[in-house]
Amino acid sequence: MDYKTIMCDILVVGAGGAGCRAAIEGANHNLDVIMLSKELLGKAHTSMAEGGLNVSLGNVDPDDNPETHFKDTITGGNYLNNQKLAEILVEDAAQRIFDLEDMGAVFDRTPEGKIAQRPFGKQSWRRTAYASDRTGSEIMVTLVEAIRKTSVRVFDEVFATKLLVTDGKISGVCAVDLKYGDYLVFRAKSVVMATGGAGRIFSVTSNAQLDVGDGYGMAYEAGCDLIDMEMIQFHPTGMVKPESAKGRLVTEAVRGEGGILLNNKGERFMHRYYPEVMELAGRDQVARSIMTEVLEGRGSPDGGAYLSIAHLPKSIVEFRLESMIEQFEDAGIDIREEPMQVSPTAHHFMGGIKTDEDAGTIISGLFASGECTGGLHGGNRLGGNALADTQVYGAISGESAAKYAKSVSHLGVDKKTITKEFERLEAMLNRKDGISPADARGELTELMWEKVQIFRKEEDMQFAVDELRRIEKDVVPNIKVDVPVKRFNPGWHQAMEFVHMVTTARMVAEAAVMRKGSRGAHYRVDADPNEKGYYNIVIKKGKDGKMEMKKEDLVITKITPP
Amino acid sequence: MTKTIKTSVLRYNPDSDDQPYLQDFDVEYEPGMTVLDVLLYIQDKFDSSLAFRWECRGGQCGSCAVRVNKIARIACRTKVEPDEDLILEPLEKMPVIKDLVNDMSQTIHRMRRIRPYVARDTKPVHPEIIHADQIEKLREIRKCIECSACLSNCPIVHETWDYPGPMIIRQIARLELDPRDVEDRIAMAMNEAVYFCTTCKMCEDICPKSIKIPALAVELLRAKAVEAGYPLDPGQKAFLDEVNKTGRAVTVKDTPLLEGLDKEEFLVDNPRGRVGFFTGCLIDYRMQSTGKALIEVLNRNHIDVIVPKEQWCCASPAFRTGDLKTAHDSARRVTEIFEKASEKYNFDTVVVACAGCGKTLREDHYPFIEEERGTPPNYKVYDMAEYMLDKIGKENIVPPKGEINLKITYHEPCHLGRGQGVYEEPIELLKLIPGVEYIEDQYKNRCCGAGGGVRAGYRDLSQQIANSRKAQIEETGADMVTTECPFCTIQLNDMMKGTEMKVRYIPDLLAESYKKGDE
Ligand SMILES: Cc1cc2nc3c(=O)[nH]c(=O)nc-3n(C[C@H](O)[C@H](O)[C@H](O)COP(=O)(O)OP(=O)(O)OC[C@H]3O[C@@H](n4cnc5c(N)ncnc54)[C@H](O)[C@@H]3O)c2cc1C
Ligand code: SF4
Ligand code: SF4
Ligand code: FES
Repeated sequence: MDYKTIMCDILVVGAGGAGCRAAIEGANHNLDVIMLSKELLGKAHTSMAEGGLNVSLGNVDPDDNPETHFKDTITGGNYLNNQKLAEILVEDAAQRIFDLEDMGAVFDRTPEGKIAQRPFGKQSWRRTAYASDRTGSEIMVTLVEAIRKTSVRVFDEVFATKLLVTDGKISGVCAVDLKYGDYLVFRAKSVVMATGGAGRIFSVTSNAQLDVGDGYGMAYEAGCDLIDMEMIQFHPTGMVKPESAKGRLVTEAVRGEGGILLNNKGERFMHRYYPEVMELAGRDQVARSIMTEVLEGRGSPDGGAYLSIAHLPKSIVEFRLESMIEQFEDAGIDIREEPMQVSPTAHHFMGGIKTDEDAGTIISGLFASGECTGGLHGGNRLGGNALADTQVYGAISGESAAKYAKSVSHLGVDKKTITKEFERLEAMLNRKDGISPADARGELTELMWEKVQIFRKEEDMQFAVDELRRIEKDVVPNIKVDVPVKRFNPGWHQAMEFVHMVTTARMVAEAAVMRKGSRGAHYRVDADPNEKGYYNIVIKKGKDGKMEMKKEDLVITKITPP
Repeated sequence: MTKTIKTSVLRYNPDSDDQPYLQDFDVEYEPGMTVLDVLLYIQDKFDSSLAFRWECRGGQCGSCAVRVNKIARIACRTKVEPDEDLILEPLEKMPVIKDLVNDMSQTIHRMRRIRPYVARDTKPVHPEIIHADQIEKLREIRKCIECSACLSNCPIVHETWDYPGPMIIRQIARLELDPRDVEDRIAMAMNEAVYFCTTCKMCEDICPKSIKIPALAVELLRAKAVEAGYPLDPGQKAFLDEVNKTGRAVTVKDTPLLEGLDKEEFLVDNPRGRVGFFTGCLIDYRMQSTGKALIEVLNRNHIDVIVPKEQWCCASPAFRTGDLKTAHDSARRVTEIFEKASEKYNFDTVVVACAGCGKTLREDHYPFIEEERGTPPNYKVYDMAEYMLDKIGKENIVPPKGEINLKITYHEPCHLGRGQGVYEEPIELLKLIPGVEYIEDQYKNRCCGAGGGVRAGYRDLSQQIANSRKAQIEETGADMVTTECPFCTIQLNDMMKGTEMKVRYIPDLLAESYKKGDE
């Protein structure tokens, strides 16, 4: 099996908000940094974020401070958050947004010329900094500008498939150059995982194509702990129509700016569920409210609710929600005049690779940041906290990786493991018979959407678990790429992703079965009323290759759950 | 019944194919379908190895640019029509990796060459105070998602990478507009050939974020360059000096139209309307017969035509090259002349038969005057063909009777189509002429290379662009190419020298048909 080996000090896997920030930090330490991504630089999922980034600057509401941000984050997360991690988030966010400005970000301003801040769900103050409703794009563009100033070597369209671990320490990754199909081994002193989430394991999702959970799969295989995997945020407002746009996000900023939810009778139904906070209730709460309306026959014609912003002055809508205007224009709707139809969509993974305050994992030299990590957001992530996460922990992971890289030298890598990995990938191309990745993926995403969704119940989830075990055993080893070509072959890319999707889906479903009560985004219709659920579920691959799960105590520093 | 869309995709795997080839697929149409949906359908149903890029499916990431029926578009925001065939090809200029996937390394290299980040010479203090009005323009051109679509169809990039293309010139403007950036971006823009752009607006038309690159980047940088004291090219300067001296961008050769006319009013019995005629420099000084033809055509269609004797250049060359003083002086003067005439002769409509003048009156004078004095000019500007078709109405146009038995194609002036939104009207006019066999040129909206001061300042480049355009026009097999801009006409005449291809200005041809019909 032919492959090339490429050396670097720090390898960053992922080039979204977290990956880029980590790479920049690493390069600032005079180290040789390589950053990998499946897509071209700048096209990562982060560019799709719309609403904004939470930072308690107090520019609009002077009484805001990190303390309140912390409180909102923990209560929003249903007390499952790792409070040590949350403390760092709220403390560092301000400095990180200034970093972004130093690099050239252009956020919208207050009349005094400071960064403007808008209200977002479940937050005590107007805290969310923004650039119209294209904040993620603003951040992504800024980070790309910054990357182009640094010495970071960008290897985009390179797919990492396996983490290499030598004697319990990280030593590199196996990867495939998607453009030309070459096999590559990157040997690094330290590695940062910043691979994003896995919304794409659900058939209806707001996520980009790349978010399939490679990072979760690779980390699991390498022996990392993964935490809170059952906690999936379903965003209440995804697009319903047209079919091809189904699941695309309608930013929370629409409700933040004053948008209201209506059922088919024209009733503002949030009165019924959360009269104090109305549309700005938690995402899980709003999602369940919408679904209840739909299930009880008060939904819109295409199975959603109406979201209207038509009562606001057009100029405000045009200035603050420009992408939404564009997005619905494509669907033939003028949101300045008409309501949008919305329904929930799989949006965010609260869970992920378990990390400590230095963004470290249990594998020495392996760090992680961004959506691929778990613990910080607990049972539910506040809108605007994910972008803050990418910047705060992106920087920390980069710095930790740099410190670590400076203290060690390259480890050897096991050639047998490498050859075996590339043979596995090659086999997908050479198999005579087998299952097409597209079919396999279709089955998996439907299964997850049907059975492990917003309203969960034991038998559904158990069914999903059984199915996933079967898929893992029977389908994964028989994936066959239709056209055996290595040069830019999306069929092959999908096949490589599929195993990671299955591992990720299994962790989600198995953990969901284990959690018997409702908590945060995990809502059971058959919840055990006696279970408070104040624990985290941690998953790891056991010595025998079986998935091991255990409940762990919460990490509490300041706020004790009620 | 389900409709199918015939989709041809340019396939290419350089490992195994000698040449790219088109492969056809039948795609089931669904309402609201985008080009990306079409590609995903093909990938799903027919060939999972079909290579193209996408991520967000919502115009946010900039991955999915491809050429759709010859024009670069982002696939995820381009709707398909149920009864239109599709040809999907990779972007131009960048080499192909496979199928619709381009190698972007040259583009990235070109981007890095401009040091595309905010450069600072001191450490910022926090919080940095930046007021909303300081970033208003910047915010507009900041929306770019680096999809590179605009690079693909830029006529200048097509000829040379000496020009970095719309996406990157926009980035220079973005940095110039950033109050925090300390680099001399004007010097950089000069070094990066900012004067090569013909302001053809192709990039603006293509841009999924509708960024007005020619106005907000190119012309802005040029204006700042002029302000900073960079001299214009002597070829361009000569025009502007003439404008300031005489009100005309060119020098007199034969008796100018306005001098030759014995009156200002050309009135008819029972008029259905009355318009002022803005001649522009070339019709006045170089194409007198065309000017007369135009008055005649309008008169024949029962329109009173007022031709104010005192006219002034719209100063398009000054707007385009960044000499804002000349530009604004002219805008004021033109407005004054035509407002006076409109009061004296009681008209509220001005007809222009030059694409460049029309665009300048509409897109440059109008907002400038409005901003300066609070109210825009009190007259409405129409292109000649637009006026005839949309105001007079096709059913009311007196049909020309003289046969012109030729295969005729049309070159769409950039500043008429994309500049003023006049696309079909000139073709409709052509089709009114008996005998004309209209031949569609799939590249009709490509720049001829004359505009933006390029013909005046960079003749070689201008000719290169013209030659690319020439090949496209000749490919149609037409006997004659027509257009509706004097400037394009001159350029087309030059490019077609020594060939069989005739070049005509549409109002001329129309007048000819009327005359023939009289005989
Ligand atoms: C539509 C939408 C809107 C959102 N709006 C907001 C908002 O307003 N505010 C907010 O705070 N949050 C928002 N979020 C959430 C937020 O955008 C994400 O959590 C965040 O951007 C994740 O960033 P990241 O850097 O962790 O990962 P991503 O941006 O997802 O990047 C992951 C990177 O990892 C790479 N990668 C993955 N697998 C591999 C592999 N195998 N090999 C190589 N590279 C790999 C990818 O190629 C990519 O470069 C939104 C999310 C969505 C879906
Ligand atoms: S206006 Fe035309 S020439 Fe100028 S940058 Fe845009 S596409 Fe290129
Ligand atoms: S300017 Fe517009 S077309 Fe050009 S790269 Fe940017 S977004 Fe794309
Ligand atoms: S897929 Fe992101 S812009 Fe089209």
